[in-house]
Amino acid sequence: MSTNLSYTRQEMMAIATGREIRDGELAIFGVGLSMLAGYFAQAHHAPNVRSITEGGVFGATPVGGLPWGIECNRISSNAVSFTNAIDALGFLVASGRCDVGVIGAAQVDKFGNVNTTGIWGREIGGHYSPPGTRLTGAGGANDIASGARRFVIMAAHEKKRFVDKVEYISSPGYLDGGDARRRHGFAGGGPSAIVTTLGILRPHPRTKEFELTEWFSFSSVEEIRASTGWDLKISKDAVQAAEPGEAELAALRAVDRTGMLRKK
Amino acid sequence: MNPNKLVSLKEAVSRFASDGIQYASGAALPVGSDAVAFGRELLRQGRKGLHALFHCNSQQLNLLAAAGAVGKAECGFSGLEVFGFANGLRRAVESGRVVLEDYSNLSMALRFLGGALDWPFVPATVNVGSDIAWRSAFSPDDHPSEKKIPAISDPFTGRELGALSPLKPDLAAIHVTLSDPDGNAIMIGTEWSRFELSRAAKKVVLLADHIVDTDCVRQFPNLVRIPGVVVDAVVWQPFAAWPQGSPGAYDIDEEHMRLMNGRLSTEEGTASYVAEFVTGVDSLDDYLARIGGEAIERLQKSSSSFLLDPYRKWIKPREEIESLLAQNASRGETP
Repeated sequence: MSTNLSYTRQEMMAIATGREIRDGELAIFGVGLSMLAGYFAQAHHAPNVRSITEGGVFGATPVGGLPWGIECNRISSNAVSFTNAIDALGFLVASGRCDVGVIGAAQVDKFGNVNTTGIWGREIGGHYSPPGTRLTGAGGANDIASGARRFVIMAAHEKKRFVDKVEYISSPGYLDGGDARRRHGFAGGGPSAIVTTLGILRPHPRTKEFELTEWFSFSSVEEIRASTGWDLKISKDAVQAAEPGEAELAALRAVDRTGMLRKK
Repeated sequence: MNPNKLVSLKEAVSRFASDGIQYASGAALPVGSDAVAFGRELLRQGRKGLHALFHCNSQQLNLLAAAGAVGKAECGFSGLEVFGFANGLRRAVESGRVVLEDYSNLSMALRFLGGALDWPFVPATVNVGSDIAWRSAFSPDDHPSEKKIPAISDPFTGRELGALSPLKPDLAAIHVTLSDPDGNAIMIGTEWSRFELSRAAKKVVLLADHIVDTDCVRQFPNLVRIPGVVVDAVVWQPFAAWPQGSPGAYDIDEEHMRLMNGRLSTEEGTASYVAEFVTGVDSLDDYLARIGGEAIERLQKSSSSFLLDPYRKWIKPREEIESLLAQNASRGETP
């Protein structure tokens, strides 16, 4: 599909993620894309979102560009409180108080389990050996996936990333589906959406298998199925997601001052 | 009246760090606070076989792993955030030279808390139900692991939980923004897990960007989250976290973050980095010269520098700090 879009796929993904965040919620964002999506939501339709970072930086917005990390000076220049990891990830997230988190994924599977630890290129098997390609590990995403009431996963939609079963569960989705999360006493409810560069997947209410519910104006059901490593089901209510409105794009680009999402 | 715990960086490493210890750094943030300069001195003095306990990877762990000083590591996050993968650590883990045990950012902090409280374990509702609990790099055949984060049940409700093992590092080097000579310290920015770590470690060395008069900490006692009673030594080390940033004091040196991580991606690059920025640097003046006068000026002009304003009048000038250091050196005694 090569229409002349006035926005990039990355921008569509950030806007679609931002639409998942509601006004007044207590929200936790990671660095990079998820922070852009979160601050877009705050600038556009959720002015009263209460955002925190993993480090316990409260009430701050980025100053002078996209922060390099959750503890960067760019997110430390207008905070109302600095605390710590046990406060942010423990008191507010693992406790079940946080409404929504946004996390990234190198690999995600049909039950919304996320791998950010490594690529083995095979099943690990009974003996653990280091991955051929070591990734960044779970960071705070495991804590968000365990404790936040719901969370949104952002991932580039490619077949190698959208796999039937992740090689390593860094951050738990619905594990092997159904009510499997219940066995582990998580405070949080699990992933509510996987927002990709091509569309949006949401869990079936009973089986928890992720199904396509929205495609974007520049993508199609065929392209999305072909870019997914399992036999992706299409929700009977699947529709095309609304294109970004002018106000949405303006708000996003004000947050993404350095144009990270406009790079091709 | 206040004891003077100031020592040089060289002395702090020679006195408190030996081969094979469990070594923790604070805050161990990937682009922010960390005692990076302490790691450079560990390499200068040839420390080996370290068991690194880092809340997150930082450029310090990246460097120590690349240079072969670390055998085992435990952390919650092993990248450099927006700067990407930590090439030195990554290479060491993929080759098996460093065995990396994975946790999460909350569980590392909880394990330091457990160590600080002398608890046998910390109950956890995170990491359970994931491969962080089921897979152990330290016990690779224990699968699903029963030793790393064993399942326990809540004695009141029967709910299944995970038991996290506590951490009591032999040594913690903790970066702080401000400390008085006794080790009463103020951290600007997120503490991350420095509060717990300072109580969990058997020995604590502070690396302070600035040394302040004790009147300063008496003015803001609520902000002194690391009191001198838990501190063994204080090192005055401007730009202690470089090339990472220190809120209020200096910004991230983006260019050096990339240069360093780029060089650490190969053996040859690591050797050249170590020669130029580690072993080839043997004094504080030398260190500041490597950062560069222009960079120092630029990095100090941070959008966050107003955070340091309330404390500036108590910052001790270099001569005074050197005279306090000289007093300790001439006494030749352990502070």
